[in-house]
Amino acid sequence: MSKTILIIEDDNFLQGLEATKLKKEGYEILTASNSVEAFKIIDGKVKFDLILLDLLLPEVDGFMILEKIRQNKEFLTIPVIVFSNLSEEKDIKRATKLGISEFMIKSNFTLDELAKKVKELIGS
Amino acid sequence: MLTEEEIKLMKEENERLLNLSSVKSDMVSISAHQIRTALSAQKWIIKMFIDGDLGKLSAEQENLMHKAYESNERAISIVSELLLANKTENVTEKQYAFAEVDLAELIDGSIFDFSGETHSKGIEIIFLTPKTKPPLVRGDKEKLRVVFQNILENAIKYSNAHGKIFITLTEKDGFIETSVKDTGIGISEDGKKKIFEKFYRDPGAQKKAVIGSGIGLFTIKKIVETHGGKIWFDSIDGDGTTFFFTIPIYK
Repeated sequence: MSKTILIIEDDNFLQGLEATKLKKEGYEILTASNSVEAFKIIDGKVKFDLILLDLLLPEVDGFMILEKIRQNKEFLTIPVIVFSNLSEEKDIKRATKLGISEFMIKSNFTLDELAKKVKELIGS
Repeated sequence: MLTEEEIKLMKEENERLLNLSSVKSDMVSISAHQIRTALSAQKWIIKMFIDGDLGKLSAEQENLMHKAYESNERAISIVSELLLANKTENVTEKQYAFAEVDLAELIDGSIFDFSGETHSKGIEIIFLTPKTKPPLVRGDKEKLRVVFQNILENAIKYSNAHGKIFITLTEKDGFIETSVKDTGIGISEDGKKKIFEKFYRDPGAQKKAVIGSGIGLFTIKKIVETHGGKIWFDSIDGDGTTFFFTIPIYK
């Protein structure tokens, strides 16, 4: 059974590149560009194994989405990689408090490195 | 002697400048984020070309793509430095606020802040965390962060690609001594005499930043000494430099 990744990213171009790369690595991909789409998927029936989460999203930011996810018993321990270009200490602290597996600054990593990290967390 | 009116005007001007500085600082943060987003897209696309994901490249195309990738890395690095300078500019102007500070935690945070730069140069940072948790120090957290980041930034600049940087924390006589050792080219003889002088920039520093962190070792020394500590270094030409600074333990 392939593992499924939920990508929450509002920049369509970046979302596309991330999805293409991870699909190539053999993962099933679900995408959301904002909180409404994200929650539709989260509250829906499809299971997923990891969330790739951007922080700066329209209207409802990534932190609030993460808070809501952690309030759901089903998703208490689901691995979350924050993939953002924010890097202030307060952002990292806030995300870490909500329980993330990794905080990766997009511009510091290639897509290969992202895929490697995903594999480390959930296998292929 | 200043008149009351003059003092009032100066206070108002000071207020205005502080507000302006804050607005500018926010603008820098927001712009930096947007630039990084654009740079991420470029980085990933160029890498796809280099990896042959978009078809085989000619030798010339491959060469140019590598140049483009390096240029993109440089831009990403400058944005990180700009963000740091943005932070430090605010911090060094403020009054000191002493409290308990966890130096180990501060160091971990700074290592993370520089992960982009160290990553692109292939530099490994080895933080030799002490077995027992070291006591907290008495310090102004943000100013100490600036001190450590400045020293780490220098270590990275002086390092060769794929070099190593070693960081240690030791308790000594009521102080915590922090050391940062690089395995780079070492400070020049001229540099050794002048490195704590205001505005001195050692010509030996590799890949000089277009924008430095904005403050030099002159200010770092002042901060450490205001804390009641000391700062010094050992440097062997061609064999690397170790910076040491001490900060009093919180009692």
